[in-house]
Amino acid sequence: MTRLLVPLFALVLLLGVVIGLDRSPPRADFVFINASDVNTLDPQRMSWMQDLRATRILFEGLVQTDIFSWGFDVQPAVAERWEIRRVEEPLVNAMGGPVLNERGQQRTATREVYTFYLRDNAKWSNGSPVTAGDFVYAWRRGMLPDTASPYMKFFELVRGAAQFHQLRQAMLTEYQARPAAERNRAAAEALFAETIDAFEHGLSGEAARARIADPVRRERLGLDDENSPWLLDNGVGMRAIDDRTLEITVYRPTPYFLDICAFGTMYPVYEPVVSRFEEPNPETGTLVILGAWTKPEHIVSNGPFELKLWRFRRDMRFEQNPHYWNREALKIQSIETPSIEDSNAQVLAFQTGRIDWMSNVEVAYRGAMWEAKKAYYEEHRDLVEELRAKGYDQFEIDRHLPPDPRLHIHVIPAFGSYFYNFNCNDKLNDGRDNPFRDARVRRAFSMAIDRKAIVRDVRRIDERKAYSLTPPGSVAGYEPPRGLRSICDAATPEERREIADEARSLLIEAMRDMGMGSDPSRFPTVELLFNQEGGHDLIAQVVASSWETNLGVSTRLVAKDLQVFRDDLKNQNFMTARAGWYGDYGDPSTFLGINRTGDGNNDRNYSNPEYDALLDKAAIEADPVRRMELLHEAERIIMEDDLPMAPVFHYSNVYMFDPHRLSGITSHPRSVQNPFLAQVFDEPIGPGVARALPPRAPTPQNDNGEDPDSTAAPAKAGKDSPAAPAQAGTDSRNPSR
Amino acid sequence: MMSTILRRLAQLPFILLVIYTLTLTLAWAVPGDPLENPEGRQPPAEVQEAMRAQYNLDSFWSFYFSYLKSATGVQYLSDLASGEIRREAESAREVGVAPRERYIFDLGPSLQYRDWRVNEMIGSSLPVSATLGIAAIILALFIGIGAGVIGAVKPNSFLDISTLVIALIGISLPSFVIGTVLLLLFGVLIPIFPTGGWGSPSQMILPTVALSFPFAAYIARLTRMGMIDALGADYIRTARAKGLSENKVLFKHALKNAFLPVLSFLGPATALAMTGSFVVERVFFVPGIGQHFVNAVRNKDLFMIMGVVLVFSTLLILLNLLVDILYAFVDPRIQ
Repeated sequence: MTRLLVPLFALVLLLGVVIGLDRSPPRADFVFINASDVNTLDPQRMSWMQDLRATRILFEGLVQTDIFSWGFDVQPAVAERWEIRRVEEPLVNAMGGPVLNERGQQRTATREVYTFYLRDNAKWSNGSPVTAGDFVYAWRRGMLPDTASPYMKFFELVRGAAQFHQLRQAMLTEYQARPAAERNRAAAEALFAETIDAFEHGLSGEAARARIADPVRRERLGLDDENSPWLLDNGVGMRAIDDRTLEITVYRPTPYFLDICAFGTMYPVYEPVVSRFEEPNPETGTLVILGAWTKPEHIVSNGPFELKLWRFRRDMRFEQNPHYWNREALKIQSIETPSIEDSNAQVLAFQTGRIDWMSNVEVAYRGAMWEAKKAYYEEHRDLVEELRAKGYDQFEIDRHLPPDPRLHIHVIPAFGSYFYNFNCNDKLNDGRDNPFRDARVRRAFSMAIDRKAIVRDVRRIDERKAYSLTPPGSVAGYEPPRGLRSICDAATPEERREIADEARSLLIEAMRDMGMGSDPSRFPTVELLFNQEGGHDLIAQVVASSWETNLGVSTRLVAKDLQVFRDDLKNQNFMTARAGWYGDYGDPSTFLGINRTGDGNNDRNYSNPEYDALLDKAAIEADPVRRMELLHEAERIIMEDDLPMAPVFHYSNVYMFDPHRLSGITSHPRSVQNPFLAQVFDEPIGPGVARALPPRAPTPQNDNGEDPDSTAAPAKAGKDSPAAPAQAGTDSRNPSR
Repeated sequence: MMSTILRRLAQLPFILLVIYTLTLTLAWAVPGDPLENPEGRQPPAEVQEAMRAQYNLDSFWSFYFSYLKSATGVQYLSDLASGEIRREAESAREVGVAPRERYIFDLGPSLQYRDWRVNEMIGSSLPVSATLGIAAIILALFIGIGAGVIGAVKPNSFLDISTLVIALIGISLPSFVIGTVLLLLFGVLIPIFPTGGWGSPSQMILPTVALSFPFAAYIARLTRMGMIDALGADYIRTARAKGLSENKVLFKHALKNAFLPVLSFLGPATALAMTGSFVVERVFFVPGIGQHFVNAVRNKDLFMIMGVVLVFSTLLILLNLLVDILYAFVDPRIQ
């Protein structure tokens, strides 16, 4: 028996050693739970909310958005000032000749030239200065197909970037067609050098001309058409004039360009480190990026904090960057983001004081917690009413009230919408005629949805009923169309019947025209596709019962695993399917773009040339007011006439933190957070101490008729802010999960 | 004995190859595209194309062989032979930086967590799970054998029935219930232990207990059965007749035989406990390997699925072999 105990003791000893070697550093000044685990810290390769949030802690762009201003004003960051001017550029084709119009004159195009002047005290975390060249390097990475940047479209705002991307792609295809003997490391490196030359000097230089002199090669690179305006004649429109002056030529006037400059993917990276982790693959010629450069032992960043620790699925720890130019703005020395996936465990960790801020509360009982907060508001009704009238935001109202655990939950309008997709193809995938090909059917189905029951009984956090794709009041200077009225808007049962009748007669009319008779019960069984997790089943039940009661059609719920669901959406293998969308930048086009013909995110396969033309027109419209009118008209088409999707509600974020102990979180409807601005207090604080949105005139109540609190913040953002067009920051595309 | 061990070790690569082929076939057939986001914004089509080429996801067979090459170390050896690795080290020295890390058995990059290699991910989470698992098995052994012996000595007594009840609870209650109850009791109501995390011994206790519960229950039942059998055997009567003390009879003679079924259970049980429990790790946010099993499949992260399956299979085969060796060590009749 004792012999058996020997290995046992050895194991116990081993266990002791392992524990002994594994020590955690002391608690950071500010601890929060990010939206999820960080996928990547490489700015040009990221797209998730948690990644973008971590990026704002680590890096800093040319400009930043002020999350504590209602207009989301653009502020200087690495660039201390900038100039914008418009130029008329004569168009030149691939052969260097002029591009002519019908009358034989050379065509021109309007470009916008941004000149950024970088501050001289902007430093990397190793002490070297941040230069204009660092931005050129980072943005060039974003344009290269090798990097596979999910936000490539943002980089393509730069003049010639899209063509540069195509050229590199063509060069790679050409390389891969070479015999194996001609593909090696040296050849791949030469190809990359050629790419860089095209980026810097375009194709008009001597060397480039010699390289593309061969007509076969020119054709293979897509340079055959003499009249195609080849924007690469002088290289990509991005120049480091000197270390502190950066000139960017934007392809067309883009009112939200500065807003995009504040977006995480546009932040600079440190070339001497990053380039060591990029190596050409001799077989394919592509530059392979090795992820390891973002690890604490390698990474060099220019933001307020630097990365000290990153243990996979465990925690990240940030400490102040000693070389950051604006350390005065920072109130904390260190930030930690532990990886706690289970939402119940997150709440426990919050309640035991382990964490200061939960950025996404998903526990099943969050509706009850929100009810409790509203009950607490009810106890202090007079004061709360008075504060609301003065225009205080939710967090500042909380700070006026006596501390109470019920105040720890917060519901903040988000920059996203939940909707039901309609398949717009003529045929369904099984060969049947698609009953939703007629826009009247889609209108009827949208009108019949009881949005109120969904926000009140299912979601239970007072989200806003949706009638448009763009959340109202989230973009400065833009008000989305009113949309179709829905049965839940009826004040009386008679009115409700009236709206239901209107919807039903629309449906019957369309059915007759499609040769399906005039009995809604003969309408093909409507399938509602959704993914199993995340409570979408409950919403689908309400939608289905709305359609059954108000239209008289029969329905079937189809729940699928997330990956299968995604596949079905992509292949239009559905009749109707649930969906959600979050905006990226402060402009309606961040929402409206997904309904363009052929857009990669157009799961509905909706196509309307009139709609596309309006978006195209808005894209080149120089007058900001006129531009918003065009976009409004485009959104009206999809929300009142064509209904490729039926909007259901606009998302809210649910946060958990003690407003008397933590400041630096904003309630702005754009839902961008800058965790580096946080401040944690030992003693409870009152109003006016914290960083918060300034009070402003109260806004009309949402017609939900429920507690207006959740809607107090969003409405008409920016109406009273300086008139600069579309000054809103930008965050994530993180889908609701 | 030695030849048996060698033969078993020689079988290992073939078993792994079969597992590899089957798993990759299944994982490849799972619907969904690892380069697409299940929800929200999709990367542009040309970006997806570029990534597909980069990760060799164009065709099953090219992935099958390239992954096999790097995971088995063939890639590393060929790079070593061709001098590629030496060249890399030299060029790194010229620039004055550390050469980039190379793995002999390279399990590839993660498709979901782009900054990490599967080797790093398993390397950081397997030790955590192994520590937790071994601790849980040791605890389960002490509790299980103790309870089993008590039950066998006085069958159908109050003590026996209460251990039976506890064992029944241990086997039938899912670990997220046990975990959450423990967490609420000792983490929140009586806050003597932290609510989760990893790093200090006190953070280990609750997850260890939660993880050991079902194993302890099973061991208790196995021990009780074996002991009751053994106590009725002739050699125990002989031992008692020789006048040996009851302790010696129980622990030196009876338990030794009764332990054999427990031992054969320990092989797979240790492998199972060491490779982590998704639920326990989630409840106590332990950064172990169990979550990777589930998340890798959910995200269709091919490299991660293959890496985790290969490591787990290797571990299972080796632990079973170890148990067989221990068998011979405990019971001299087995060679």
